[in-house]
Amino acid sequence: MSAPAPSADDMKQWLKAVAEHEDRGAFGRLFQYFAPRIASFMERGGLNAAEAEEISQETMVVVWRKAALYDPAQAGVSTWVFTIARNLRVDLARKASRTSAGVAAMRELPMRLEASVEDMALASERDARVRSAMATLSPEQATVLRLSFFAEKPHAEIAKELSLPLGTVKSRTRLAMAKIRAILERDQ
Amino acid sequence: MITHHPSDFTLARLAAGTLGAGPQLVVATHLSGCPRCRRGLRSFWAVGGAMLDEAAPTRLSPDAFAQALRRLDETDPPAEPAARVLHPDLPPPLNAYEIGRWRFVPPGFRWRRLTLPESPDANVIMLKIAAGQPVPHHGHSGTEYTQVLTGSFTDSLGRYRAGDCIEMDEEVNHQPVVDQDGECVCLAAVEGRLRLSGWIGRLIQPLIGI
Ligand SMILES: [Zn+2]
Repeated sequence: MSAPAPSADDMKQWLKAVAEHEDRGAFGRLFQYFAPRIASFMERGGLNAAEAEEISQETMVVVWRKAALYDPAQAGVSTWVFTIARNLRVDLARKASRTSAGVAAMRELPMRLEASVEDMALASERDARVRSAMATLSPEQATVLRLSFFAEKPHAEIAKELSLPLGTVKSRTRLAMAKIRAILERDQ
Repeated sequence: MITHHPSDFTLARLAAGTLGAGPQLVVATHLSGCPRCRRGLRSFWAVGGAMLDEAAPTRLSPDAFAQALRRLDETDPPAEPAARVLHPDLPPPLNAYEIGRWRFVPPGFRWRRLTLPESPDANVIMLKIAAGQPVPHHGHSGTEYTQVLTGSFTDSLGRYRAGDCIEMDEEVNHQPVVDQDGECVCLAAVEGRLRLSGWIGRLIQPLIGI
């Protein structure tokens, strides 16, 4: 039996406790929820079990260190944790021992530019909306979305899974993804 | 007014971290001036968050949490690179990258190469093309990304102005020409190997060494 999934508010509270009191109990709850999921996500993206566990640990260490930088108006906790894990994964792929100033500028850019009040109001609801929108995707759309996240050569793998000729897969993928985004942002 | 954007597929791959380093820099430079694409990126980040929530938890080694706790105490946080702007006249994050000197070959055309410390193999170049000159296409081994920094050019599919990002598949055969009202500066990268074609490409490819 696994514990019931924590709510978005639970996660925010835990992160706040880490940020404000270096609360290791709260960190433990975050770890228990996220670390096995990050590792699973990374294995799906092609890492072996040891590398996946390493990324999951490293992600959680960054979560601990940067908890005070988390802004609930910008993103849900899961989305924030995802972006940390994603950046570490990219660094690993590039064998970058440290982030360059350019990469640092690139990574802070979207968040930094979106500090307007209007965007913050949107941000607080985005995660929930995206989640319910994802449930309405067709199997083909879901495949395109999944492979663009996990496949190293997404076009080739989309062509294979959907039995499409390689010549048409690029335009089909682009159309499918534009539709997916329209679904994701439908209520905005 | 921006009228050409990278595809949503590209934004999704940027969010996922599966886009190559060169295209990523070109697209990020577009994002710095494009709220529409920043919104797309954030939607796809939220997709990543949802996928993380849905991932089936895997079994970690029994002492994984103890190890993590030790790392909280042991590890000194790595020094974050200082924010810096090397080129105040260029948009971020492009302005944080080292850019080689301009090379003048052939007449009416200059190019300079960018250095990406995070990915030394990536080929990103900046092109400056005089009014009325053809833009060399670079590509044919993957999707090509071009961000217009200043000026404009036109091909059979449309007109591309400062702020626009053009994503072109290798099979697309077009011959863009810089508009008559001034020179045009673009940033260009391809997925996979950069290869220049056309007469300008043949001329400078040996010089770029790719
Ligand atoms: Zn855009």
